[in-house]
Amino acid sequence: MHRRFVISALCVCLTLSAAARTRPHYGGTLRVETAGDPWQMPDGIARRLVLDTLTTASDTGGAQPALAVRWESQNAGHRWEFWIRPGVHFQDGEALTSDTVAAALTDVCSRQTGVGAGAGAASGACPWRTVRGVGASVVFISDSPVPDLPELLAQTEFAVARQDASGAVIGTGPFRVTGFANGALTLVANDDCWSGRPFADAVELRTRRAVRDQWLDLSVGKADIVEVPPELLRQAEQQHMNVLVSRPVDLLALTIAPEGWFASREMRQAAALAVDRTALYNVIFQKQGEVTASLLPESLSGYAFLFASDRDLDRARALRGGATTAAMMLGVDDNSSTMQLAAERLALNLHEAGFSVQVLAAGSRQTSALALRRVHLEAAGAQAALDEMLSRFGQNGAGSMTGTGTDAAALWQQERGVLENETIVPLLWLPRAWAVGERVRDPRLLSDGAPDLSDASLEGAK
Amino acid sequence: MTSARYNPPQRMMDKMRWAVVVAVLVGLLPAAHAANWEQPAGDLAKQIAALTGPGPARLTIRDESSLPAGEMPVIRRLLERDLRGFGVVTGASDSATLSGTLIRVTLSENLQGGLWVAEVVEGTETRVTMLPVALGAVVAVSSGSALTLRRTLMITESEPVLDAQLFSVGTLQRLVVLEPDRIVTYIRSAAVLGSGMASGSWVVDQRFAISAGRPLPRDVRGELVAAQDHLFDAYLPGVMCSGTNTGAQVGVACADSDDPWPLTAPVAGAIGQRAFYNALRDFFTGVLAPGFGMELPPFYGASGIPRPTGTGLLLNMVDGRVMLIENNVLKPVAGANDWGSDFAVIRSECGTGVQVLVSGSGSAASGDSLRAYELVGREAIAVSASLPVEGAVVAIHAGQDGRGATVVVRRDAPLRYEVWDASALCN
Repeated sequence: MHRRFVISALCVCLTLSAAARTRPHYGGTLRVETAGDPWQMPDGIARRLVLDTLTTASDTGGAQPALAVRWESQNAGHRWEFWIRPGVHFQDGEALTSDTVAAALTDVCSRQTGVGAGAGAASGACPWRTVRGVGASVVFISDSPVPDLPELLAQTEFAVARQDASGAVIGTGPFRVTGFANGALTLVANDDCWSGRPFADAVELRTRRAVRDQWLDLSVGKADIVEVPPELLRQAEQQHMNVLVSRPVDLLALTIAPEGWFASREMRQAAALAVDRTALYNVIFQKQGEVTASLLPESLSGYAFLFASDRDLDRARALRGGATTAAMMLGVDDNSSTMQLAAERLALNLHEAGFSVQVLAAGSRQTSALALRRVHLEAAGAQAALDEMLSRFGQNGAGSMTGTGTDAAALWQQERGVLENETIVPLLWLPRAWAVGERVRDPRLLSDGAPDLSDASLEGAK
Repeated sequence: MTSARYNPPQRMMDKMRWAVVVAVLVGLLPAAHAANWEQPAGDLAKQIAALTGPGPARLTIRDESSLPAGEMPVIRRLLERDLRGFGVVTGASDSATLSGTLIRVTLSENLQGGLWVAEVVEGTETRVTMLPVALGAVVAVSSGSALTLRRTLMITESEPVLDAQLFSVGTLQRLVVLEPDRIVTYIRSAAVLGSGMASGSWVVDQRFAISAGRPLPRDVRGELVAAQDHLFDAYLPGVMCSGTNTGAQVGVACADSDDPWPLTAPVAGAIGQRAFYNALRDFFTGVLAPGFGMELPPFYGASGIPRPTGTGLLLNMVDGRVMLIENNVLKPVAGANDWGSDFAVIRSECGTGVQVLVSGSGSAASGDSLRAYELVGREAIAVSASLPVEGAVVAIHAGQDGRGATVVVRRDAPLRYEVWDASALCN
């Protein structure tokens, strides 16, 4: 029943984006406000507008051509060759070549900060050993097979960027940065963009803006697109805001470091059985998203229900035994009050099972055995999504495809192998949502819940 | 003047014929459902039997998918029958209840389609097997006051479709599909063995790449037009392709071009109207050739329409107005506030014989629509009910014979483009 509701809600959201329409108009300035960094995930709106990736994710999760027009796996998935789209230019007029692509991707790998730094951080090491330009193609070599490399390269962290003479970041995308003033980043349309000129002439992006201020700006017509955190979706609906809701794209999960008290699997399992997902869902997140014990949302895998998500306090207590544990710390990977509340709720759950847990104050740098994380999922295909989640949780290459029969069954076995360690306890899958002003025509969300500004147009523009 | 005929066909006869057709279709419905699930039920039963081995078992089925409620009993019946074929006896018998083997089937789905999951529980052990299942579809009909709109799905593509038209090469009929970067031709299959494809489905025959000299606009549009001395011309922003038939095969040649796109067919030796397209945007510039001696603002589309005084030109302007050029005078059309940006003029046996098939205007709360209008004087009068369309209509082009139209619909989740053949039936 619950699943049907989720599917219905998703359909309503997608139908909204596919509503009847006239053709999009050209011109005007889109005004967007966010609380996050314009260059960092999960939104990274400026990054998405300025830069392109070799591939993009289709709605069904497959890779489709972007800066690469085709690709081929060789040597049993150890070598991949991607052919670069001809005639593409950076926003300063310099031609895109296989060498510039290889250099940009090498730079991405060298800048990656490793795992555990939060949802915005780049994931673990790049899945390839070397990347180089060979004629019109880019060749990736890896030590182990990477069957879903085309899907992985669709992630925005692998976008192709360059610095121009002034040191500014430039790309091949539909917009280019022209300035930053009074807290607003201004981007203008790239007329020669290989994927077509965007409809809006410009995007004005106000960043690091509190949600309350964003909503105020939308209500007085000073903003066109603003954020709606999932826990405020009901409030937004009550205020009759026009809201676009994505499918579930953010995983709320408890991670347990297998050390100290939690070195034993039984203790980790006890902690996992003690958490009350339903309370988090009902109270903290106002019944948005879906309760889960899976690393993939139900809509992506179709099998998430196979992972039991019910609380079993008696079994948790039995597994913990009579041992008296020292106070353990629970860290939170973002400073929002909602995440702090969720962490407090988890600490209470664990206390009921006999664990002594203290929540670290927001912004604390103290290390902790337990961490509440909100992890963004960008991939739209099941296998690439599982790989992405494992990478974000620092479990690259974890599990193995031992299943037989269908892909879904093999994927389930791989995921089950990872979750059996009880070091990752998935709790909730949450959607992303945006409120849209009346001026915006054809508002749509990308598969990972970010607003699609390249294809948005404005009412009254010509 | 109508001529008297001996024993002319009566309307009642027509109605009876329709009643028979409907009765036959209704009678076929359960069989069609069964046929839909026959294969997956058999496959899943085989997979389950491989886990359980022969013997009694308890079977539960729950539906977590978007299947209509009426499908569940059909699937259960098929599954029970097929399991029995493998020696697995299910039901409420004592042996089944006491066997200790529980088969828990969940009809689920993911982005790729249906996913049927079977859990075989024996004691504390649970084994799982899964089966991806294709979900099927559809012919849509909308009944209206004067006529009924009917649309039939021709093909579904993952790539954007700009236009699709049927062309005959000798006795062979080809469906030519125009996409932003290629032209694909289809022929009807004569049952492709082993593919699971029904006889008569369209299968890809040939593909031709289109290379444009400069990037295409984001809201890319295109049109296929029958040519007089070769098979067809394809118009895209800044590019034109010519399709020829050499024997049974089609050949395509493309080149950069700013040539105007045809709007109306030549009539009685007179040159048809053509319009220049803005290759950087999604509309025509307003410049016509040979034109009407007047300056026009930009417009999204235009089509010739028979009028009492000759052929008029119906235009859908960028500012949302619908205009008619008749006797070299530009006049606004009333009653077209609900029109979207796409329309096609079609001919039928109903009403005045000429209808305008129009997409919705964006006022609908969800989904798009198709509706037929007739132009009476300078007023657009709806002559059919609104035919709901799941998704957004992104293009409508009149068919080569003028009796129907190609309607391209963009659907989300997963993203796909459906090509429908739309026509009008008299009520």
